Amino acid sequence: MSGPAVVACTWGVAISDIEELLTLGRTVAGTLGGELRWLVLGALPDGATDTAGRFGVGGVDHIEDAKLGASGSDAYVAALAHYCAESPPQLLLFNQTFQVRDAAPRLAARLGVGIVMNGMAIEQDGGTLRVTASAFGGDTRTVYDLAGATPQLVSVSANAVVPEPAASATSPEVRKVAVDLGGVEERVRVVTPPKREGPRLEDAQTIVAGGRGLVDAANFKLVEELAAALGGVAGASRPIVDDGWADPSQQVGLTGKITRPGLYIAAGISGASQHMVGCSAAKTIVAINTDPDAAIFKHARYGLVGDCLEILPELTRAAKAR
Amino acid sequence: MRIVICAKEVPDPDAVNNYALEGRLVIGDDGKTLTQTSIPRLMNAYDEQAIEAALRFRDASTECTITVVCAGAESGDVLKHAAAMGADEIVSIPIDATTVDYHVMGDLLAAYVKSSGGADLVLCGRQASDDDQGVVPAMLAERLDMPLVSIARDVALTDGGGVRVTRVTPDGDEIVECACPAIVTISNELGTPRYPTMAKRMQARKKQPTVVEVASLGLADTALQPRVTLTKQFVPTVQSSCQMIEGASAAELADALVAKLREENVL
Repeated sequence: MSGPAVVACTWGVAISDIEELLTLGRTVAGTLGGELRWLVLGALPDGATDTAGRFGVGGVDHIEDAKLGASGSDAYVAALAHYCAESPPQLLLFNQTFQVRDAAPRLAARLGVGIVMNGMAIEQDGGTLRVTASAFGGDTRTVYDLAGATPQLVSVSANAVVPEPAASATSPEVRKVAVDLGGVEERVRVVTPPKREGPRLEDAQTIVAGGRGLVDAANFKLVEELAAALGGVAGASRPIVDDGWADPSQQVGLTGKITRPGLYIAAGISGASQHMVGCSAAKTIVAINTDPDAAIFKHARYGLVGDCLEILPELTRAAKAR
Repeated sequence: MRIVICAKEVPDPDAVNNYALEGRLVIGDDGKTLTQTSIPRLMNAYDEQAIEAALRFRDASTECTITVVCAGAESGDVLKHAAAMGADEIVSIPIDATTVDYHVMGDLLAAYVKSSGGADLVLCGRQASDDDQGVVPAMLAERLDMPLVSIARDVALTDGGGVRVTRVTPDGDEIVECACPAIVTISNELGTPRYPTMAKRMQARKKQPTVVEVASLGLADTALQPRVTLTKQFVPTVQSSCQMIEGASAAELADALVAKLREENVL
């Protein structure tokens, strides 16, 4: 039995991430001349069949098991290996989350198949899948050819694709896939789960982020004050997180959070690619920098040349005044 | 306990980033590698932090041997740096790294670990700062059948001979435990690695790596066939459409911006 062309596999991500993945999956399945299926591990998201239909999914495969949901990747890898053995697709797509960063390469190793992380785009060239990925913290793009056995695996970066519903909707059905995970004993045990504090940067509509231009750790409060005045969340560039001025959970960028707010105000941030990866999907970027040639202005909609230490408090004042 | 750390040589990411910020980053004639000779090559910083994590065990009087292994064409400088930091043994697996993919690298490193008596703990950087792929540790975990714990900011031994790891997850710190042998990947939140003293660097110059030939690792020809091949690399371009806000003072700039954002319904 030949499997589907493309399977988009998701768990634990927002519906907008799923829509991105299904959009990419549908495009690639079209070039491969086959079907797109959506594989859901764990709980089915609200409105799953509706989303699947709008995005042109041929069918939804659903694997539910109490062992899925663990922090470790053992059960996910076992479930995916089982699924691929039963109906191997040509291409298996993932939203790149920190769990997928463990599970997808392990699956690739177990199946002996090719994998590319940080995927941005996928095309087909005479039977070879060609994947464009981000490298050097976003400074470059690498293009990889995938050869050998299928399924080939691609983990797709957040915001790499603009979600677009299918031209004609489908009426997909949900198929339960039974997987026996009885023999899987998660080897990594959680002692203390993470404590999520306050609103998440990933969900924030407004983010004010600070970088080295703040000069001193104590000035990070200027960023927090403006964020509060705008009803938003404070973020930080990696250098000031490394220096301990802000918490790692506040880091925006390749090794931090990938955000997509309506408004992103970057104060004293140079605009290094590793940072821009985390904020380039913002609808409106405002850059504040003393250097008029700073790279951040290339990405910004509005630019303010000046000292963020002076401008941030004035912005807080102006934002509060109506 | 035996700790094995896998290290990689990469182009200095700060130099690459500075070139990129100035718009002067170029790809070499082969269309896929960075060849600007002014970009130094050094040890992947996450791998340096993996060595630092191991050295902290020794600082805490844990009896351990620390081996740093590097598979590549010219791993000499990287390994000397590892020795200067405090590695007991440095191991070179000579191979043209451009001809291998993550599978081949995982197979090579796993075969080395097995052939050298195994390891209680394998430490890797969370990813390499050149390709950012971060796939090799997971490959190793499968090949060596060890549990994988990623993005660690702290690694400690438990009384039962396992490890307790603090992970930097997007939701905050998560503390996990697993039995050894295990593979742990280290994130930058571990902190700045120690910089070796001049005396240690002088000593390390004399230290010779153990050379392990690929042929001696007993891998099948098929294991050395890459499934993923880099065919091209390019520098993405940004279409700038920035409107500069004018103002004679910080207050004027702020008022002008807020007015603009309100006008456009962004605020």
